[in-house]
Amino acid sequence: MAVGRRDGRAGPDVLRRVGEASVLVLISLADGPKHGYALIQDIKELAGVELGPGTLYGALDRLERLGLIESLPADDRRHPYRITAPGAAALRVHLDSLERLSAAGRLRLRLGGI
Amino acid sequence: MDEPQATRLVETALRCYPARWRRRHGEEAAELAALLIRDGTPAASIAWSYLVGAAREWLAPRPGRRLSTVACALLVAACSLGVSAGLLAPAAPARAASAGQAHASAHCRPGLPVPVPGVVPALGRPQVIIWEAVHGRSC
Repeated sequence: MAVGRRDGRAGPDVLRRVGEASVLVLISLADGPKHGYALIQDIKELAGVELGPGTLYGALDRLERLGLIESLPADDRRHPYRITAPGAAALRVHLDSLERLSAAGRLRLRLGGI
Repeated sequence: MDEPQATRLVETALRCYPARWRRRHGEEAAELAALLIRDGTPAASIAWSYLVGAAREWLAPRPGRRLSTVACALLVAACSLGVSAGLLAPAAPARAASAGQAHASAHCRPGLPVPVPGVVPALGRPQVIIWEAVHGRSC
């Protein structure tokens, strides 16, 4: 079930319900294709989160079913994954939404004098 | 834990995934596990992660799995109905007789127990006689 838009334009925030691991995988793939081991290492450096391999493959399957990433031809025994245009658009929408939420949170903290 | 043991543990966990998943990711997942073990990640933690992933994979709804889920649900429902019908069957004639007498016994009078007319003991089965309630109150 692919939910992304082929033209890459912004739509609803489809990443809201996919879980943190899937968002981290998409962010990691945003600068180029990677295979499983490289994804785990990159996410560890990027966010300080050590994804378990089972969690990683769950996220990869979910994102692939949604059409947000695609698997490239196997290199040795490893499949590199690449973010698709709908995946990049979905990530942009999600990050914008997080920014708005973050700004609102900071504003409320200032208003509350905390 | 030595390397062959660690590999066996991870392979066992990987065998818990559905065949479709193993065909798609099996080799890659085994290689990823080997790389992570080489980096110092405990094999037990990798195996646990794969076990949890396998459980999720089995439980996740898939378009192809809907039919089998429905079939299983129908089978369970049919079995439940069969068992319920089997348990209720001996009580059914009694209930039918009680229902037939309900209007007649709006006010019960004290007296001797009276057999309910219309209930004929089945041939070759233990005789069942249903007595009207005799307690001197409305029932």
